[in-house]
Amino acid sequence: MKIVVLIKQVPATDKVKMDEESGTMIRDGVESEVNPLDLYAVEEAVRIKERIGNGVEIHVISMGPKKAEEALRSAIALGCDRAYLLSDRKFAGSDTWVTAYTLSAAIRKIVGDFDLILCGERATDGETGQVGPEVGAYLDLPILTYVSKIETLQDRKIIAQRAVEGGHEVVESPLPVLISVVKEINTPRMPNFSGKMKAKKAEIPVLTAEDIGADEARLGLKGSPTRVVKIFRPQVARKGTVVSCVGNLQGAVDGLVDFLEEKAMI
Amino acid sequence: MKERDYSQYKGVWVIGEVREGQIHAVSYELLAWGRGLADALAVDLAIVVLGKDIKDKVDELISRGADKVYVIDHPELEHFRVDPYSNILTALIEEYKPEVLIASATTMGRTLMPVLAVKLDAGLTADCTGLEIDPEERLLIQTRPAVGGNIMATIKTPVLRPQMATVRPKSKRPLPPDPGRKGEIILKEFGPEWLTSRVRRLDFIKEESEGAPIQDAECIVAFGKGLKDGRHVQLMQDLARIFEGSLGASRNATDLGWIPYSHQVGLSGKTVSPRLYFAFGISGAVQHLAGMSSAETIIAVNSDPEANIFNVADYGLVGDLFEVVPLLISRLKEKGKEA
Amino acid sequence: MEQIYGKVTPEIVDELKKIVGEKNTIIDDKTKLKEYGMDTLSLITGVVADPEVAVRPESTDQVSAIMRLATKYTIPVTARGAGTGLAGSAIPTSRGIVLSLEKMNRILEIDAVDRVAVVEAGVITKDLCRKVEEYGLMYAGYPMSTESSFIGGNVATNAGGAKVIKYGNTRKHILGLEVVLANGEILQLGGRFRKSTWGYDLMETIIGSEGTLAIVTKVIVNLIPGGGKTLDLIVPFPDTETAVQAVAKLIVEGNIFPVAVEFMDRMSLTFSAKHHEISLPFTERDDVGAFLIIQLHGKNQEELDETYEKAGELCLGNGALDVFAAESRQDSEKIWKVREEYSPGFRFLGKMVYANPGDLIVPFSKVPEMMNELKRVEKKYNTTIAAVGHIADGNLHTHFFKPDEVPPENWTEYAKKIYDDLTDCALKLGGVGSGEHGIGLLKKEIFLKIKSPAEIEVMRGIKKAFDPQGILNPGKII
Repeated sequence: MKIVVLIKQVPATDKVKMDEESGTMIRDGVESEVNPLDLYAVEEAVRIKERIGNGVEIHVISMGPKKAEEALRSAIALGCDRAYLLSDRKFAGSDTWVTAYTLSAAIRKIVGDFDLILCGERATDGETGQVGPEVGAYLDLPILTYVSKIETLQDRKIIAQRAVEGGHEVVESPLPVLISVVKEINTPRMPNFSGKMKAKKAEIPVLTAEDIGADEARLGLKGSPTRVVKIFRPQVARKGTVVSCVGNLQGAVDGLVDFLEEKAMI
Repeated sequence: MKERDYSQYKGVWVIGEVREGQIHAVSYELLAWGRGLADALAVDLAIVVLGKDIKDKVDELISRGADKVYVIDHPELEHFRVDPYSNILTALIEEYKPEVLIASATTMGRTLMPVLAVKLDAGLTADCTGLEIDPEERLLIQTRPAVGGNIMATIKTPVLRPQMATVRPKSKRPLPPDPGRKGEIILKEFGPEWLTSRVRRLDFIKEESEGAPIQDAECIVAFGKGLKDGRHVQLMQDLARIFEGSLGASRNATDLGWIPYSHQVGLSGKTVSPRLYFAFGISGAVQHLAGMSSAETIIAVNSDPEANIFNVADYGLVGDLFEVVPLLISRLKEKGKEA
Repeated sequence: MEQIYGKVTPEIVDELKKIVGEKNTIIDDKTKLKEYGMDTLSLITGVVADPEVAVRPESTDQVSAIMRLATKYTIPVTARGAGTGLAGSAIPTSRGIVLSLEKMNRILEIDAVDRVAVVEAGVITKDLCRKVEEYGLMYAGYPMSTESSFIGGNVATNAGGAKVIKYGNTRKHILGLEVVLANGEILQLGGRFRKSTWGYDLMETIIGSEGTLAIVTKVIVNLIPGGGKTLDLIVPFPDTETAVQAVAKLIVEGNIFPVAVEFMDRMSLTFSAKHHEISLPFTERDDVGAFLIIQLHGKNQEELDETYEKAGELCLGNGALDVFAAESRQDSEKIWKVREEYSPGFRFLGKMVYANPGDLIVPFSKVPEMMNELKRVEKKYNTTIAAVGHIADGNLHTHFFKPDEVPPENWTEYAKKIYDDLTDCALKLGGVGSGEHGIGLLKKEIFLKIKSPAEIEVMRGIKKAFDPQGILNPGKII
């Protein structure tokens, strides 16, 4: 069985700095980490491998700058077998649609046949959650999003639970299938020493647009249907009344009660 | 990019949702979003709904803003499944060519829309909090938060059509129903080859939860680290009871284990838009604000006059919540007795 | 020092109200007053002493005015931070006035050039840490209860914490203090410099004096460049001895100075993990006796990787069952949560625990002997001892549990014997009875017993010089 896990390296902070003039994010000096939600996909793949045993091979793929190799090494430390980095200037500025195109081209080219593609629900930086289902669509796979539990995986069939509004949907799909997982599915492990040493030594091929045989017109910023035209800091403000309770607790609370009455809340 | 003629693409479409056999409220929210866009473009607003036994339940869609309602009513469409929904919608969109296509960022919308984007060769923007029309270019201006709500991005889809976006559920209030509104209901039929699905739904396990889930609550009493200790949750509960409200919490409070994660409001939790939102001891990190700033009325109590939460509050009290809440409760109880 | 103190009369309350305002004077709200009479020790032992009144000044001038008033009427004044102390230092045993610094919580200045921060005493230390991070700087005086403890309390107890092995305790990071004396005089001690030979160093004397010499109102802290990279490890060992030996190897053979080396015995770690519903590796395995939590630091990734490899090999070569590394920020948070907030987990043992988390300290080389002493004491008293500690500093927090045969009403007496026995052991091994929590109420008796009369006499002289009427936190230390 071949499992493909898609991961992304993201800034290890939500306190991104912005260049207010150019309206771009400052990425220099920002620590990176594996997208936390992708670790659940990695963990699930490793658990499947531990359960089924021999013959399961986990391939992990990431697209990003050279530095994203660190994320792939983490995945190997956690138990993935092979890692590939898609890195090319031509990939820069990809939106989700193009990212999914690029990843699916790479999966076709380097993994070939596979049984399962696992990914996280979304990345903590872009927060779109689109790349997973889009990869599924490009590869014309059945798609199971928001998977919170894999019940069975046998006879070329998977039965899984999806966490949706109001409960859990139990679904069955043939393989190959694309699955995006939610936090509920497991608790990611920590890598041990031998895992980290294996990761240190692992060869991680860097693949370019040419290597994966992608249509260049569909790559990077140029190929992306959507354009970020501006980024800015959110401004939140309502014109509210702010009253200090200092020395005026009764008055302040009475004011609040009046306000609630006025708004017909009580 | 292949050269295609998109000049015939006209109109705004939204994808309605049906849950448990009923038109779900997000459909009306989508109409409220779509109405504004359609008016700005001076085009029709259409909603498309797929489901089982729904054709008699769609009138309200017109009274709440739709000019056209496309209905695909078939037993096989009772529950959302990617294959039939995406096949049918792809066909309809290629036939009717809307320039804008909006869905709700529910688990359905977030699954269906990416698939449609690939099938239709169109660009998609997730989780928008703002949608507008650029009057000169007639382009959809999509605004969305990213990176934990710390930045906002404005996005356009200059060439490909339709311009696709999902919007957060509860990010807009439905329009009040106007019984006099006129619209057209169009029933569309699809043969069995359109209805097959590789994925089968075997079962549904309903969530057992106490009280109203916070997404549906009319009043939320939310607290943050300023509550100091989990045992003070009782105090919050006492206030919530008066308003028949639900408890909400900031990420700090759930991380501290004071209340289960299902009560977390904010970007990594639930997005809520109750009529009344109390924020006690919540500093107002942008992530939290992203989840609650669309509440109709926000009351904030914080000991720090500089707390960010006061920037979104309609009524703010700078003070000790342990002084304010008991007094507020007793005042409200007095009021209750008077009434 | 026998003292006759004045009572807090309604007139005095009125004067206090004039100073700090009605809202900041707590007199009628008995529940609230009680809260001002306890610290974390009270939560465990129930030792509480209600103050007659509690005040929350908002400025140094108000503190000064309160002290002038207290001096005039000889009223005891117990300064209070966040109330997270573990030794009862903030419990107002002579009642009087509790002076809470909670409203003096402003970070006044962060100066990247001088590399100092000027803060009021009621600033939460963790807030300070977070704030200076934004400037690429670090406040290294990091005690454990940083979610809630105040910098002023850290100064008063000379708090330690997990990072002492690398950075030293609070004292090492304090450059200046503004203090109010018993008579209301305000002194500025130290400053924005890192050395001085300028007479007796009163600042150093006040650090760790638990509010008995003066009231700290402002603190100038030293900041160091932040940055670099850290990695948290959790390392299971078959038993305590092996874990302790491995630490020696890391430091001596590996020449590795981690930011932190924390020891947790199996019971402490597994119960804590269970309490927080956090899953950590090896907690389910029976062959584990102890864990080390190690934070490594490197100037850059390469240096960190190198240190990790060396540390990993040394651990594995010296009996570690495996070595796990935090892969994400979430992993690190989990590990530290289990370490920092471990005591609630003891409820799973279902036995009464003695309130005083021992805070023994011995030279690092004597830790194995101290561990043997723990075992001896365990047997002698038929008790269970849980041990957690900053092991590379030789600092151990011990918790002991009531044996079934000891009736609950005798437990405190009984536990005190265990405690004294352990403290004696630590002293014999060249250690002291408190590494970081302070003396407070708990350790006063043994402190006085052990210190030489000559040293105590000098201390009494110092106390008298600062506070001739003995109104500042009476009954503490000496």
